[in-house]
Amino acid sequence: MAARRSGRGRRSKADREFVSEAEEILEAMRSGVADLGDQHVAGRDLDPELVNRLFRSAHSLKALAGMFRFDPIQDLAHRLEDILDGLRLGRVNIDAALLTVLEESVATFAALLERVGDAEGLLEFEQTIAGLARRIAEAAGAKPADADPLSRLDVEPSLLRALTEYEEHRLRENVRRGRHIALVDSTFEILSFEEGLSELTTAIREHGELLSTLPAPGSAPESQINFSLLVASDLPAPQLLSALDFPKATIRAVLAGTGATAAAAPTLQATRREPAPDESAPLVEDRDASLGGDVGGELESLRSISDTVRVDIRKLDELMNLVGELVIQRGALNDITTRLCEAPGTARIGGELAKVQKLLERKLRDLQSAVLDVRMVPLRQVFEKVARVIRRMRRELNRDVRLELRGADTELDKLIVEALVDPLMHVVRNALDHAIESPEDRRAAGKDPEGLLAIEALQRGNHVVIAVRDDGRGIDLAALRTRAEAKGLVQPDEVLSERETLELIFAPGLSTRDEVTETSGRGVGMDVVRSNLAALGGVVDVESTKGRGTTITMTLPITLAIIQSLIVGVCGRRFAIPLTSVLETLMVELPQIQRSEGRELLDLRGEPLLLRHLAREFDLEGTPAEKPYVIVLGIGEQRMGLVVDRLHGQQDTVIKPIQGPLSSLRGIAGATDLGDQEPVLVLDASALVDDATRRREAA
Amino acid sequence: MSAASEHSNWVELATNAARGGEEAAPEELRQLLSFQIADASYALPVECVREIVRLRPITPVPRTPTEVRGVISLRGEIVQVIDLRRRLGAAEAESTRRARIIVVQAEDAGIAGLLVDGVREVMRVAPSDLLSQSGDGMVSALCRRSGTFVSLVDLGKVLDLHVGS
Repeated sequence: MAARRSGRGRRSKADREFVSEAEEILEAMRSGVADLGDQHVAGRDLDPELVNRLFRSAHSLKALAGMFRFDPIQDLAHRLEDILDGLRLGRVNIDAALLTVLEESVATFAALLERVGDAEGLLEFEQTIAGLARRIAEAAGAKPADADPLSRLDVEPSLLRALTEYEEHRLRENVRRGRHIALVDSTFEILSFEEGLSELTTAIREHGELLSTLPAPGSAPESQINFSLLVASDLPAPQLLSALDFPKATIRAVLAGTGATAAAAPTLQATRREPAPDESAPLVEDRDASLGGDVGGELESLRSISDTVRVDIRKLDELMNLVGELVIQRGALNDITTRLCEAPGTARIGGELAKVQKLLERKLRDLQSAVLDVRMVPLRQVFEKVARVIRRMRRELNRDVRLELRGADTELDKLIVEALVDPLMHVVRNALDHAIESPEDRRAAGKDPEGLLAIEALQRGNHVVIAVRDDGRGIDLAALRTRAEAKGLVQPDEVLSERETLELIFAPGLSTRDEVTETSGRGVGMDVVRSNLAALGGVVDVESTKGRGTTITMTLPITLAIIQSLIVGVCGRRFAIPLTSVLETLMVELPQIQRSEGRELLDLRGEPLLLRHLAREFDLEGTPAEKPYVIVLGIGEQRMGLVVDRLHGQQDTVIKPIQGPLSSLRGIAGATDLGDQEPVLVLDASALVDDATRRREAA
Repeated sequence: MSAASEHSNWVELATNAARGGEEAAPEELRQLLSFQIADASYALPVECVREIVRLRPITPVPRTPTEVRGVISLRGEIVQVIDLRRRLGAAEAESTRRARIIVVQAEDAGIAGLLVDGVREVMRVAPSDLLSQSGDGMVSALCRRSGTFVSLVDLGKVLDLHVGS
């Protein structure tokens, strides 16, 4: 885990900050440009909000690069900002050439960011940027020709003159699409107009597009203020007024719509992204100060941007460590309090201390959850990355795939989200590359030629479950078995259940198709997915029906930071087992343990439970307990009983990766400090279960 | 010399050494931290030393080579500790009060702890005083110091450990 950040070590702190912020902006631009391309190809009207967002991204990137003095980046961002501004104001038409320039610009930004901290490397891009700039200028040359439709509007010319260029463009656009245009007037008390106005604008946005908010001269008394709101809607004026249900508002039709395109405002594929309400606010630059347009809702959204503080994840790590240490110290304090309470001379003062300590503990818990909360981020970003990969692969592989994403708002610890990207991407690539058939094959199999890939995230208690489901060809168990035998993972005469055979996909170095492709042939298999997830305290499971599809389920703790663990003792040593993989614990007498083929079994309510002694697994010396405990571990469908000497109880544990020269310690997920400075190893239950089931043939 | 005064002594030496490096920048002098294993002196370049801590409880890690004594908790971070006695092939002995764990930052292995019998001093050595040693050993050079040899340890080789090796 330490290696994750070392690649960029030579950059200064400022450079790192710049890159992390710029990458985020670039991410948004990338998905925006891709969406733009989709809309253009589909022949739909461009979503104005999408263009606005892109423009804002270019603008932020320019400002950011300027602040950090990265001239080439600033230069390119500036030119992009210009062309996007033209696009959103309708001065520039979108076409394939423009899309290509946009895509290449984004790619160039990405390449430039790679070179931050390397001044000479940045200079190498001068040619590229000059070339792009020329093409941007060319693309901007094409202008739309339009007769002026605004002359048809029944409205005072002064009102039209008060519109900003953007508002005018939106007005034209809505007129062109044949929507009804109306002026909604209302009077508000000066002291509370922000509230009322924001209520009205919210209502309007539900039924149409708010084009402009203008203070109206009107004859209102001094304590009141009039506003005229220019609105485009699919509803004719009278219906709109009743739909608004706003008692003090009046309405006047400015232009009757033709209803030619009655479809409501352009929508993105709803499954992919619901634009958050605050994203729909217009840009601050559009707002002429003299218009007095400090409309509540819009002001709100602008404010929320500046209320955000960007924090390096490492600072949060430090904070988390400090809280972890406090939790550890609390344990030591507890001991002292208990001793004071038990000693006759100090019982009274011990009792007082215990009371104070209770309060302290409550505050500590609050602090802990507050810090955890700060680290939580929605899965949205990862989902957008996945969507992009899928778009690209669709083209490369000639696969017709519909993507369904659900639960993008599910929150996880930032570190887990980061560590999740690779495994998730791998699973998705596998599905596209190997599982979903070509349209021809699908038709031949009597399936919808369009394949389905659904990714769904949902929170379950302290865990997040991410399921990747495809309706492809399913896993061919016979082929899987043949390959496993060829690799010597299974003996030809070995009998495996379906479930055990399916589990073979997690065995190292196994791929069920012979050809290695660019998209998924990266030498990483499901075994890596499993071990990556295990390092996070997560598990992966597979379900597959031949011809029907495969579902890969990944279960992750919401946070790495604090996990409930069972502390067990073996041969005088302590080990922690994350409670996520513990189904139950039993005390057994040695005679209850039965044997078969050299394996030890326990009759667990009629089912044989395979037993493993932790002491033997880890070559620990000592006399086994006469009444040992059996910890029933459950990983997916697999069960195993781990025999230990003692139970020390449950505890909140802060699981840390083990640093040092030895990597991949099989069977150990990390370690934790329980307060006595002596680290306790945390077991990797899925590796233990895996080893036990795989080594069953051992003589 | 008590353990405490020895420690402050070392801090002073390191501080002086660092300050000297900044101001005068004497021609290509290398700074080495010397330490003791059994009755021999070894050294490491100071650049790779992150900190030096007293012996603390070490949790053994199963399925690892014997040179890996286990892991310690360093302010909540969990770090592997390598027993340099075992790693350098010296005879087994109980650690004394003078034993220390030198926490090193290796280029590609992250951080690791080296268990040594005691920490001596920060030496400044001219490259010409280093007699490089060829071969597969873990000592890359010898340096003469007041009548004895100090062996410069090749950290990369010391940390080149694998499960099952």
